[in-house]
Amino acid sequence: MDAVAIRGLAWKYAGRSSFAIEEVDLTIPAGAFVGVVGPNEHGKTTLVSCIKGIIPHGFHGVWRGTVELFGEDVRALGSQRLAELSGFVFADPEAQFTSMTVEEELAFGLENLGLPVAEIERRLVWVSDLTGIGALWDKSPYEISGGQKQRVAIASALAMKPRLLILDEPTSMLDPLGKDAVFDLLASVKRETDMTVIVVEHNVEQVAPLADLMLLVHRGRVARAAPPELFFEDCDLLIESGVQPPQATLFLDRLKRQGRFPGKLSPRFEEDVAAVRDVLAGRARGGGTP
Amino acid sequence: MRRTLLGVVPLTSPLYALHPLTRLATLGLLGMVSLFIDAPEVNIALVFLVFVYLRWARVDLSGLRIYLPLTVTVAVFMFAVAIAFPERTPGSHTFRFAGITFYAESLFWTFASYWRLMAMLLGTIQYFSTNRERETLVAIRALRVPFAVTYFLSLALRSAGMFLEDMRIIREAERARGLDETSLALRDRARLYAMYMIPLFTIAIRRTDEISNALYARGYTITGRLADGGRRTDFIHTRYPFRTRDTILCVAQGALLVAVAVARVGFGAFTVAHSPLRRLFLAAVGGA
Amino acid sequence: MSDSVLISVEDLVYEYPDGTRALDGVRLEVREHEFIALIGQNGSGKTTLSKSLNGILKPTRGTVRIGELDTRSRGVTRKIVTQVGYVFQNPDHQLFNNTVHKEIAYGPRNIGLGHEEVEARVEEAARVCGVKPELFEEHPFFLTKGLRQRVSIASILAMRPRVIIVDEPTTGQDRRQSVEVMNFLRDLWERGGHTVIIVTHEMPIVSEYARRCVVLSRGQVLLDGPTREVFARPDALAQAQVKPPQITRLAQALGDHGVRGDVLSVDEMMEEFDRVTSS
Repeated sequence: MDAVAIRGLAWKYAGRSSFAIEEVDLTIPAGAFVGVVGPNEHGKTTLVSCIKGIIPHGFHGVWRGTVELFGEDVRALGSQRLAELSGFVFADPEAQFTSMTVEEELAFGLENLGLPVAEIERRLVWVSDLTGIGALWDKSPYEISGGQKQRVAIASALAMKPRLLILDEPTSMLDPLGKDAVFDLLASVKRETDMTVIVVEHNVEQVAPLADLMLLVHRGRVARAAPPELFFEDCDLLIESGVQPPQATLFLDRLKRQGRFPGKLSPRFEEDVAAVRDVLAGRARGGGTP
Repeated sequence: MRRTLLGVVPLTSPLYALHPLTRLATLGLLGMVSLFIDAPEVNIALVFLVFVYLRWARVDLSGLRIYLPLTVTVAVFMFAVAIAFPERTPGSHTFRFAGITFYAESLFWTFASYWRLMAMLLGTIQYFSTNRERETLVAIRALRVPFAVTYFLSLALRSAGMFLEDMRIIREAERARGLDETSLALRDRARLYAMYMIPLFTIAIRRTDEISNALYARGYTITGRLADGGRRTDFIHTRYPFRTRDTILCVAQGALLVAVAVARVGFGAFTVAHSPLRRLFLAAVGGA
Repeated sequence: MSDSVLISVEDLVYEYPDGTRALDGVRLEVREHEFIALIGQNGSGKTTLSKSLNGILKPTRGTVRIGELDTRSRGVTRKIVTQVGYVFQNPDHQLFNNTVHKEIAYGPRNIGLGHEEVEARVEEAARVCGVKPELFEEHPFFLTKGLRQRVSIASILAMRPRVIIVDEPTTGQDRRQSVEVMNFLRDLWERGGHTVIIVTHEMPIVSEYARRCVVLSRGQVLLDGPTREVFARPDALAQAQVKPPQITRLAQALGDHGVRGDVLSVDEMMEEFDRVTSS
């Protein structure tokens, strides 16, 4: 079964003259890691909010089409069932931390699910090990950094063991160390669980290496949907659409256009380095264009 | 030391072995018992006892220095009013000092009131020096207050924290626009605080949406009920076992408060009339 | 102090009320017509330093001098803001009025300018920042984030500071928005003659726009020099837990092939690549 099946989705916020997203048809297989990129105000957050059910719950507007999460129509689900199926991490580490200590914050969602106390305990220990926040349980929000708060937010979502985890610009308010910690954590989640993950990010450099599928949302439509090796084929289109490919990938793209590099454009830095080395080695051997 | 919204609490304390409800009861006792105690000796003794209690609880007493200006201001104000507008009861003794006429009874009554106020203030401060917000919420939940109310309180406390942080940044931003607070007249300073409301409300309004979406995303419902009608689990509550000694202490504190109230109202105990200090004072200023 | 030094920092130590030492003996000079990036991890002291440069935070020890003014002196706030302006990261923290016009006029009024001068300054600052007069009576709350940022910058420019410090100008923004605001800041520097200081985490932005880079680590200045030279020192940067942009790291990974380690952009990488492969 697919994790997400979207057909003919469109949404218009009340009071706006045009649709925020239109004619979206999309399928995300279970277990996939999806990166969503695109300029601001073009529909990325709207799209993932529709998948999570935040739209139409908290918003007035016009909805068209259907969104199914693991076969269930999101509009028919209550908040508890939606929380069981999908987790959501927001960009602002402050606004999503609503309790007075980390432990409470982690337990909050589990309490809402009505899980027994022993199960909550087990999950808190599990998720703290996975995310490395065991030492923070007793701390209050004033005592931890933005990066740590964001890890707590991800841990709180993971603790609910959703089948789908959506993260909307989780690192935009974090420093580079914080960003690295979040992406390392997402890499662990990908490795150690079979959760489907959707990450909306401006930081293409860090999200693309983890992704199985990349989506470009531009002017309210999914302009491009492809695995990373194919997604960066047309870097010019990406740049025109307001997305900055990783610099190393962009460089290889330029070489490719000049006919000096025949291979696929990978967003993974180590692979890019190896590819450039190969090109240089080819030159060094005096072999001309490889 | 650990920071809370209203101050600092010690990292470890023998008090933490008691259930938060027991500690909330201490707030009730120490914050209210002085309402029934007029005699300043008793209130002064109470203040001293609370300091000893705080020391035992490992509270950093130097942190309480921030309240000193308040206590001095209150004293100055109360005594100034008492001297300028004394209660001229018939038969009350007067004496002159430095060219001013003092009414002895009125003065002593002010002295007694001041210490009552200090005892109540310290009784309240001690609670916030030994309890974190989470413990206050657990105590309230133990009283079976509805989930919606306690969660509202919890969010209010959290928002207050964010508010304070935003306030700090806004004040810096004001300075960056050439506003020199220290050179402002009092009236202008008051207007300034009104001006802070604009950015604070802007941020709060924007944050409201984010917070409510974040709550919704984690299956929150205002009723605290599950989809099948059951109650949501109260996990944090289980972290604080309510023991026999807690029962005993809660009952004892309640009983003590009631006993003092009955003694005062029913039997006239703890009044100023019986106060040895009063007799000493009147003797010193030449009264009966 | 020589003529061209605008801000002089000597042995600056800053401790927060709870005792944390954010800055531990910083020495720095900010001159006319510079474009500086202050970088470093959270907790490195870069924000504290940036706020010390315009007197928002006063030194615990050491001095910060803006021209002849010592930031610790009393009553210098109004004079300082005409020399050094500070734009906060979140426009919402610094929008105090209910119309755009009042907002931009707020600073000039605070520093005691007359009505006509205030009006002139508002028009000038709005024009430079691309805030159209049609927006003057709008409530800032209802503007887009990008416009709010411009109004914030205009409200600082209206006081005509020689130095403008901008905290995280591009955080949370997409490529187009980032380029717009950074190009604007570059114009202020190139054509307006201002000194611009940005506090940022985004290394590609630093390499594209900043001419000088000051790297902070644990309350001290670790590196201070032309951006190119600073980024060519990955080991020192690692100490500050800062990584150069990906293209620089690519160049540095190919050092054994003769590629220069101080490449700052994809274009430069192409040139360097051509040079290496043609030799």
